[in-house]
Amino acid sequence: MSTAVVDARPQTAPARLALVGNPNTGKTTLFNELCGLRARTSNYPGTTTAVRVGHMPASDRHGSVEVVDLPGLYDLQGSTPEALVAANALNPAGRLRADVVLVVVDASNLARNLIIVGEVLAQSRPVVVALNMMDVARSRGIGVDVERLSQRLGCPVVPVVARRGEGIDALRHAMREAATANRVAPADLPPAPASLEALATWGAAVADACSSAPPDLTATDRLTERLDRFLTHPISGVATFIAIMCALFWTLFTLAAVPMDLIEALFGSLSEALSAVIPAGPVQDLVTQGIIGGLSGTVVFLPQICLLFFLISLLEDTGYLARAAFVMDGALSRFGLPGQSFVPLLTAHACALPGIMSARLIPNERDRLATILIAPFMSCSARLPVYVLLTSLLFAGQPALAGVAFAACYLLGAIAGLFTAWLFGRTALKGRPQPLILELPSYRTPSVKNALLAAKDQGMAFLRTAGTVIMAICIVMWWLSAYPRPDVPDAGTATVAAAAADTGAVDTKAAQASSYAGQFGKLAQPLFEPLGFDWQLTVGVVTSFLAREVFVSTMAVLEGGAGDTEVDEGVVSRIRAMTRDDGTPLFTPATAATALVFFVLAMQCLPTLAVTRKETGSGKYAVIQLAYMSSLAYVLAFLVNRGLALAGVA
Amino acid sequence: MAISQGIVRLADVEAGTTVRMSDARLEPGSRALLRALGLTDGSVLRVCKQGEPCVVQVRTTRIGLSSRVARDVFILPIEAPPAGGPAA
Repeated sequence: MSTAVVDARPQTAPARLALVGNPNTGKTTLFNELCGLRARTSNYPGTTTAVRVGHMPASDRHGSVEVVDLPGLYDLQGSTPEALVAANALNPAGRLRADVVLVVVDASNLARNLIIVGEVLAQSRPVVVALNMMDVARSRGIGVDVERLSQRLGCPVVPVVARRGEGIDALRHAMREAATANRVAPADLPPAPASLEALATWGAAVADACSSAPPDLTATDRLTERLDRFLTHPISGVATFIAIMCALFWTLFTLAAVPMDLIEALFGSLSEALSAVIPAGPVQDLVTQGIIGGLSGTVVFLPQICLLFFLISLLEDTGYLARAAFVMDGALSRFGLPGQSFVPLLTAHACALPGIMSARLIPNERDRLATILIAPFMSCSARLPVYVLLTSLLFAGQPALAGVAFAACYLLGAIAGLFTAWLFGRTALKGRPQPLILELPSYRTPSVKNALLAAKDQGMAFLRTAGTVIMAICIVMWWLSAYPRPDVPDAGTATVAAAAADTGAVDTKAAQASSYAGQFGKLAQPLFEPLGFDWQLTVGVVTSFLAREVFVSTMAVLEGGAGDTEVDEGVVSRIRAMTRDDGTPLFTPATAATALVFFVLAMQCLPTLAVTRKETGSGKYAVIQLAYMSSLAYVLAFLVNRGLALAGVA
Repeated sequence: MAISQGIVRLADVEAGTTVRMSDARLEPGSRALLRALGLTDGSVLRVCKQGEPCVVQVRTTRIGLSSRVARDVFILPIEAPPAGGPAA
């Protein structure tokens, strides 16, 4: 766009345009129209508040203009992190000073939107108002005199329908003009700092002078009222919510499974190909097991994350999520959580990583933090093989009871999470949960383009984490589990071993037990002695610290198998037959139950800690999560073990 | 705090009633959010639905309030619901 804007700065420092506006004004849609794929989500410098930053062409001769999509706000007076970020970005002395401010306004809701317009105008800087959703205004019988509004505000006002790309060229032109124009605040604008009441009165006066009032209750309003009553009704609202969530997660699991399998197959092939090229030895192991294994184990979640954010974005765009928040608010508020927590917590049942990332839906920071801290308690899909193994060991030949125990694991995780939210809400978390107050946006057809861009954005954000922190963690944990290698047996021993039933398994078991993780497991065994765990189970706990599903393969290896990750009857039978060093069975009902409780509650997932750290902007909360979950798992597992012993269950 | 004559809780009026905002006895964060959404003192709103949530409309903005909030918002009814109008 603006030659003048770019010329105002050195070539190395692109001009900046800040987008501000109320939530639900189509700000993100407009941002996508301006920047398309040239955007990414990142934290505002020095904060954990996510802003989208994109670029749009400046002109044929000069690079591009940086466009910063600030969080949706109703006014600039709050003390929330989002309000502080917006205030900083708009401040000429702030970290991200913008040359032009584009205020996005909902034309069908002019009076309220003018409050933030007034606050920006008071700063006497280049401002353009994008009068978005003109189509919605027209459908509601609201007419806006754009010329008059522009005169009253003393800045360009451009009518647009961002969803259809209408008015975008005119908007670019207006921004180019505004960048060089000197402007002063409207004479009738309440002097800064103005109260919200004064700004609301001013906004209402401007709106009344420049727009025609809608009829009392239009047909659209009546349909909205009927839908609201239905979707928030205690019976029909809950039923609809359950149906939509079931459909969402069915779609998520079904559709994501295909690319997930493909990713695993691709990494498997890549590993094989590299094994053929790189000579056997530590370097091959590092590349094929450490790097490829670590990458595969994290990138495999990418389809779930992208699809989840695609579906959530569609739902949010329809206006339904605001109604759904009220459906769940009654139940969750008893534990100090807002209704919006439900989607992240439900998502965490698939995987804690997208669950924690989707907590961005929650506007209140305290509530968001509470949700992030408890999300890993929800039984994710990685726990499934562990649950299957341990419930099968606990109730051998009693599938009905095993099924009940399986369901009880999910319940225990959810209860532990809710209890933790309640406990943290009264201790560690500052502030009190806010009762739900939400704007109920108009029902709309969702934008597939917006949803695709949201999915791409979140996927890229995840990959940036996966490609750095998670990958490094995976490599370190692999090294701890694989090294030092046991001494290579001499030829004679090797011949004898080869005659044994399964040389590979013996070697693998020896390697697992003698690795640093294995050694640490043996060292840590006294710590787990009160839970009834022997050194093998302790090694299983330690090696699965990277990812809990590793427990199954570790136990299979220690039993003498080949590190199976699938839990079938053969694996269960072999693990059931495992013995302690004194020859007694390892998995007694008491040990299996204790281990089950431990794995329901323990934080056995390092990538989750990395994502918690990223989303909260502090390692402190990751440490709290780890310490709290591990302690709770240990204490409850101990109590179960002692309780069963007292009840005479060995 | 005494309640002036005619002032009642938002949660206690019938759906369809037009009311004038009087006071919100909420913690500062919630109060500020209400004001930012247009529920300023003296603003006129229509009660669209009662229960969980309570839905009100200020000009063209529809706002959902948990019933806990609706109990702590005080309003002055200024127009009864139209006959045969919506009921919660």
